[in-house]
Amino acid sequence: MQVQFKLKRFNSETNAKAYWSDHTVEIEPTDRVLDALNFIKWNLDPTLAYRRSCAHGICGSDALVINGRNRLACKFLMKQALKESKVITVEPLRGFPVLKDLVVDMEGFFAKYRAVKPYLINHEREPEKERAQSAEQHARFDFTTPCILCAACTTSCPTFWADKEYLGPAAIVQAHRFIFDSRDQGGQERLAILADSGGVFTCRSIFNCVEACPRGIDITRAIYEVRQKMLFDKT
Amino acid sequence: MRLITRERYIGRGLGMWAFWLHRLTGLAIIFYLLLHVLVISSIVGGSANFDAAMKTLKAPIFVLLEMGLLATIIIHGLNGIRIVLFDVGIGVKHQKEIFIAMMALGVLPFLVGFAIAWPHIFG
Repeated sequence: MQVQFKLKRFNSETNAKAYWSDHTVEIEPTDRVLDALNFIKWNLDPTLAYRRSCAHGICGSDALVINGRNRLACKFLMKQALKESKVITVEPLRGFPVLKDLVVDMEGFFAKYRAVKPYLINHEREPEKERAQSAEQHARFDFTTPCILCAACTTSCPTFWADKEYLGPAAIVQAHRFIFDSRDQGGQERLAILADSGGVFTCRSIFNCVEACPRGIDITRAIYEVRQKMLFDKT
Repeated sequence: MRLITRERYIGRGLGMWAFWLHRLTGLAIIFYLLLHVLVISSIVGGSANFDAAMKTLKAPIFVLLEMGLLATIIIHGLNGIRIVLFDVGIGVKHQKEIFIAMMALGVLPFLVGFAIAWPHIFG
């Protein structure tokens, strides 16, 4: 079937402003929006720039604004997109500088990710075997482990749009994953960072991030659990 | 047009509308409090001055506006309780249901208030 696409384009070398390009794509309802982007790049306009790596919903490279909502192009099917609109619109993520077409500069996003120390901090001597953890201990933070750092949450957050200092949902989810890990000892360091301005108390519980997450993470729950640890947990 | 296409983000759920409602009602309440202080300060000009101000405010149009104020405060207060609940670890998972429940809860006090005001508006 033939489907109309509208892509938000930007090329700093030729245009000062972003513009829309229209394309007619030959595609099946069971294909993904990413397949349509591939079709456009391979057959219609090779100058189109976008990111994709694994193309199977794990690498987090192709988060885009599709039909006005943050989605992974590789997980969102044409039949889902067509239910919303006859013409499919694809735009780069909001709140980041656009480099070219659908590609945004995510350096700031990853700087915030690194700021929460997203790695195991343990000052004890390394054990002979693995650091054992019970199923119950793992269950404490299991729901924040599926994050793929696609930035769909952070770029759907009106607080992030307005306040560029805000660490954003993704960084807090990553911090939560370690703060509540029984093997980790860096909790207090991370809580100190997250208690600062731009940390967890910047969240206004708007819940856009929860709607946007392609991994179904209850992000606001993670943010509030970190808050509660700061406020009520004296250990 | 450019502004709309640039900034329009459709992926907003009920939580976003609750947020905007909370912000706007909050601003409206601040505006009301300023007016309130202004009206009450008319006592400085003597009791006759104050009585005249009170008489003006008994006009149906002001009572009707008061109903708007009542709705504003009910919405802001009940949604405020919803947000406080999140902070003590309740209801983040069911934020939509809690918002709907809170607004439903607000209907009764509003109707009671409206019933009391009715004769002053239409009587």
